[in-house]
Amino acid sequence: MTEFIIRRLLQSVLVLILITILTFSLIHLAPGGPFQIMLSPGLSPEAMETQARNLGLYDPVPVQYFRWLGDLLQGDLGYTFKNHIPVGQIIWPTVSNTIVLMGAAWFLTLLISIPWGIYNSTRVYSLSDQSASFISYLGFAMPTFWFGIILQQIFSLKLDWLPLSDMYTMSKEGDLGDLLMHLILPVTVLTLGFLAAYVKYSRASMLEVLHQDYIRTARAKGVREGRVIYKHALRNALIPIITVVALDLPLLVAGAALTENVFNWPGMGRLFVEMAVAREYSVLMAITMIVAVIVIVGNFVADVLYAIVDPRVQLNKRGGKAA
Amino acid sequence: MLLMSRQAKYLLALCMVVVLLAGCTSKNNEPKGANDTPKPTDSATAAPSETPKDDGNTPKAGGTLTVSTFSDIVSVNPLFLQDTASGDINYLLYAALYNLDRSGNIVAEPWSLAAELPEISEDGKTYTIKLKNNAKWSDGQPITADDVIYTINTTINPDVGSPGIATLDKVDKAEKIDDYTLKITLKQVFAPFQYSLMLSPVPAHILKDINPKDLQKDPYGKDPAKTVTSGPWKWTEWKTAQYITVDADPNYWGEVKPNIQKIVYKIYADQNTEVQALLKGDVDTTLAIPITQLEAVKKNDKIKLITGRTSSYEYVSFNFDPNNHPDKFVPFASQKARQAIAHALNRQGMVDNVLKGSGALMNSPFMPGSWADSPEAVNYNYDAEQAKKLLAEDGWVAGKDGILVKDGKRFSFELQYNSGNSRREQVSQVIQQNLKDVGIEVKPRAMDFATWIDQNITPGKYPAILLGWQLSNPDPDSESIFSSKYFPPAGQNTGWYKNETLDKLWVDGYSTVVQAERKKIYDQAAKEISTDLPYIFLYQYGNPQGIGPKVNFAEEDAPEPSHQTGYFYHIIKWWLTE
Repeated sequence: MTEFIIRRLLQSVLVLILITILTFSLIHLAPGGPFQIMLSPGLSPEAMETQARNLGLYDPVPVQYFRWLGDLLQGDLGYTFKNHIPVGQIIWPTVSNTIVLMGAAWFLTLLISIPWGIYNSTRVYSLSDQSASFISYLGFAMPTFWFGIILQQIFSLKLDWLPLSDMYTMSKEGDLGDLLMHLILPVTVLTLGFLAAYVKYSRASMLEVLHQDYIRTARAKGVREGRVIYKHALRNALIPIITVVALDLPLLVAGAALTENVFNWPGMGRLFVEMAVAREYSVLMAITMIVAVIVIVGNFVADVLYAIVDPRVQLNKRGGKAA
Repeated sequence: MLLMSRQAKYLLALCMVVVLLAGCTSKNNEPKGANDTPKPTDSATAAPSETPKDDGNTPKAGGTLTVSTFSDIVSVNPLFLQDTASGDINYLLYAALYNLDRSGNIVAEPWSLAAELPEISEDGKTYTIKLKNNAKWSDGQPITADDVIYTINTTINPDVGSPGIATLDKVDKAEKIDDYTLKITLKQVFAPFQYSLMLSPVPAHILKDINPKDLQKDPYGKDPAKTVTSGPWKWTEWKTAQYITVDADPNYWGEVKPNIQKIVYKIYADQNTEVQALLKGDVDTTLAIPITQLEAVKKNDKIKLITGRTSSYEYVSFNFDPNNHPDKFVPFASQKARQAIAHALNRQGMVDNVLKGSGALMNSPFMPGSWADSPEAVNYNYDAEQAKKLLAEDGWVAGKDGILVKDGKRFSFELQYNSGNSRREQVSQVIQQNLKDVGIEVKPRAMDFATWIDQNITPGKYPAILLGWQLSNPDPDSESIFSSKYFPPAGQNTGWYKNETLDKLWVDGYSTVVQAERKKIYDQAAKEISTDLPYIFLYQYGNPQGIGPKVNFAEEDAPEPSHQTGYFYHIIKWWLTE
């Protein structure tokens, strides 16, 4: 197991390095790169050159890459091109804002979808199962921004029960009650979007397990139905669900640009779109890196969780050989 | 040596606005109730000790104004102003030497730093400027001639990288006469220089010891705590991509004090949400309402819409360099052919249908409503028959496929515009249809904006383009766009247009500082340019400003959409009611 973890760790580092090279070169190959964008169009050619030299933009791309990597290893994400503000100062607040929003939506999704999916797997085509299907289709079919606008129209503009947008009311920053009020609409939109997939997954995953021989055996042995479902079936059914959950982990940080835009949530998804328009490549690079790290961590966590949930992984542990 | 003019630096800013507003066109109906605002009994601001009745008619101090917009600032440092958002905040934070009046003349307002209009020497080269002697920086230091001279010298220092360098490139030297008087000498007579005097000085006592190369990286202009300012409001907070707040400066030096205590400049990522916030009352004024949202705003009779003449106009630019055309044949080489195109286009139809009745026709490149706006410009009415007649006179005959032919060459050209801009997309289709009706083939082509500017516009390599200009100030001097002295890549005459009469008129126009004489020259220029048509001038366009019920102002202090920061025109005198 230790050997397995070490190997996975080394792989992850390699993947990360490849990602940095790929993103860095893509950004520097793109036409109209940071160089042209940051320089004032009214500048004389001489002044432009002075500035470009001051900022080290004339160095070869590999030199720039290693300088950037060196800074990164020291935790320095660089500066914005346009106004020389530390990138970290811009990104970190949006990361926490996005985690609040996405975390709430995700938590709610898991809380609803997994039990509901399991329940439905034992009562296929019941009213509950049918409504889950209906909501899934609705969640899939409805564009999130459109749903968000509808909710705004009803609950904010017509009924005036909930705030229209933003994370806090201007004068109430840091107020938990105010934050919760602001969370309701965007979380509803996001949850409905996630719910569709998760209910389907947990239901399908359970159904597959429930048709396995060992479940029939358990039932034949006279094990109580509740125990069959929750002890024998659920544990096995959770494995594919964990995979999906772990792979969705980056969403927690990457955010949902459309929803964040509609609700003017100061999160990372919105920031990424804004920075792409403004061509702030150092910020884009940093966001890409952060998300890449989380993707890798997510996969790692999934593997470790397998070991806990899957009895077959435990078997391998005893055998001393990772498969 | 700089060849780019004042307009040059706004190209990119405009372009960004264009990209951001892609898909949003404007609607400029008559202001709804903008003029119904009751006139305040006293147009000057109320002294804080007064307790005016809160009937909405009397200016009163207090309250928070929430302004919504869609982009964040870059830096409010006047030396590095480039984008619209930074310009907006700069307008609130800094006093300028001179300000603009409604018809586009520079004036010394109570909130301007200059005490009176500049005294211009007989030869037109020397400007003597007297400053008010009571103006102070927000840290209490006096604002003196040293600050202005430092600002000018720093702006024109190429090491600094100030975009303002283009506006001051005619300056030979700036000298101090006494603490409150300075003299600026120009290298040549250059009348548009008066508008360069709308500059906001920076505090020399804060910045003078910083290496010019490091000024751009300095936190001044980015960190509210380190940004010493000169205007009615001082900077209190900046939350990146969220909002900027400014608070009335209790120690503000001006005789007229601001009524509004706090202004929140709030950034919305989504323009629909922005407009909903205006309707709900979360926001008191929205600076640019997209045309798709206009109906919703109109239904709400509490919201005033500020519309009218604007400073942005759209045009079709022809390229006269044969190398940019197939077989080196320029189909619109003759004046008659261009006039025919002007007649063939249903410009009013574009205004009615694409701009939904907003905007107005434009016939010359001069700022509508300003002193230079000329009645001499030729207006080409929509007349397909006249167009056909002119084309026939020019020697064009219908070919087999219905497209006109001359010397064996078809009248066909490509019209480029930027993709994602739905206004231009629609207008290019109208142009295609209108010109097809008179036998001209137009092939509209959408291009990625950044690539387009880089590879086609700047080097002047295109057959014809559909694009817009934003006029940064009311000065009619357009030499750098239309004179043959300014061919690409150094200049902005990207269509390689050459007209010796006009070339000379531009020079005459800036070589005298007497406005009445200039007016005559630009009348001639308007006539010549609208007859010869290097551009087909289409229409003015802009996004209306929406103002909520809390905001009050006297009629003479209403926003002026033809100015660059016109949505804040005389904001120092506005007041709020709950």
